[in-house]
Amino acid sequence: MSTAAVIPCPADGRNLRGVLAELLKLEHIIGGLVVAPDGLVIAANLPREVQAEPLSALAAALGRELELRGPRLRRGTFPTAQFASVSGSAFIGSTPVGYVVLLGEPRADWEVVRSGLHGALGTVYRAWAG
Amino acid sequence: MLRRAQRLRDEGRYRRAAGLVDETLLHDPRNVVGHLLAASLHMVLRETGQARTSFERVLALEPTQPRALLGLARVELEEGETAACCTLLNRALARYPDFPEARALLEVARGLLASADAKGDATSNAAVGADRLRLPAESREALFMRADATVIVAEPYGPRTDAVAARAVKLSRVATAMLGRAGLGPLRHAVIEGAAETTYLRTDDAALLTLSFDRDVKSATAVEHLERVWHRCRSELA
Repeated sequence: MSTAAVIPCPADGRNLRGVLAELLKLEHIIGGLVVAPDGLVIAANLPREVQAEPLSALAAALGRELELRGPRLRRGTFPTAQFASVSGSAFIGSTPVGYVVLLGEPRADWEVVRSGLHGALGTVYRAWAG
Repeated sequence: MLRRAQRLRDEGRYRRAAGLVDETLLHDPRNVVGHLLAASLHMVLRETGQARTSFERVLALEPTQPRALLGLARVELEEGETAACCTLLNRALARYPDFPEARALLEVARGLLASADAKGDATSNAAVGADRLRLPAESREALFMRADATVIVAEPYGPRTDAVAARAVKLSRVATAMLGRAGLGPLRHAVIEGAAETTYLRTDDAALLTLSFDRDVKSATAVEHLERVWHRCRSELA
């Protein structure tokens, strides 16, 4: 578990590449992407061995499934989710423009990533939801 | 006009973009690019029904349009029409064998279809065993099921329980596929934050458990409960 956290503070929520770049500074995060609800990649920075296209298709499907889980979770209102295996985690957050996905090592701390994602999602919401 | 609509879409002005696309399609109803852009905008606006109509219009004009086949397959998967989803993805892959997005989704859809077939006539017996699991008092909802979505324990149990279980299994399949594509291996734990509650999920190849707590319950406490209940669940199943 990491204790010294870098909480990114993206300046411009319209610049989704910039938002992703800031999130990639979080400790033990090894890659990420922003994907539109139709599955098209908006921005990606992934480990070399990971293909963006299949990951984006699945991320969009997963993001939508999360939004549909219940009446309280409709219209992009779920804040964040973590999906973990023994080898690492995927973190996902919803925005009006699509889904932000981060890939982390097993040591990536949920609370730290969650806090970073919340900040970034808030910035994107404010920039795009108008 | 479509280029302007595309620019508006890129700027996040979805409604205005959709208005321009509608106007274009009024004059040129056979415009495939227009219908595709309309579908994409409906997806962004989470208007699944309208996205379906747009994708269907594209396919009526161009039956092997890959983005429309993939998009409509996504809609079918979302709506639980897994067989229709597989058919569309197979159509896309027959025409475009190198289509990684379609291949990734087909893997998930086939898995769901296979487990639905395996489930067959299995019936839920949700009343059995809930007391033996000693669910935590803080837990708002608990659901334990086999990997094929057969409910073993549900607390509370209601008319929507089976549907909720099926959604949880679908979620876990998509997450496992995504983790696999990221080189991280199958799903074991998940934490899903809702507006009012947080759901903790534990799974392996055979079963899946979800426990929901109010958001003010500490994560460490919830995970402790989850692990304790999970071990009891697995013992019951064994």
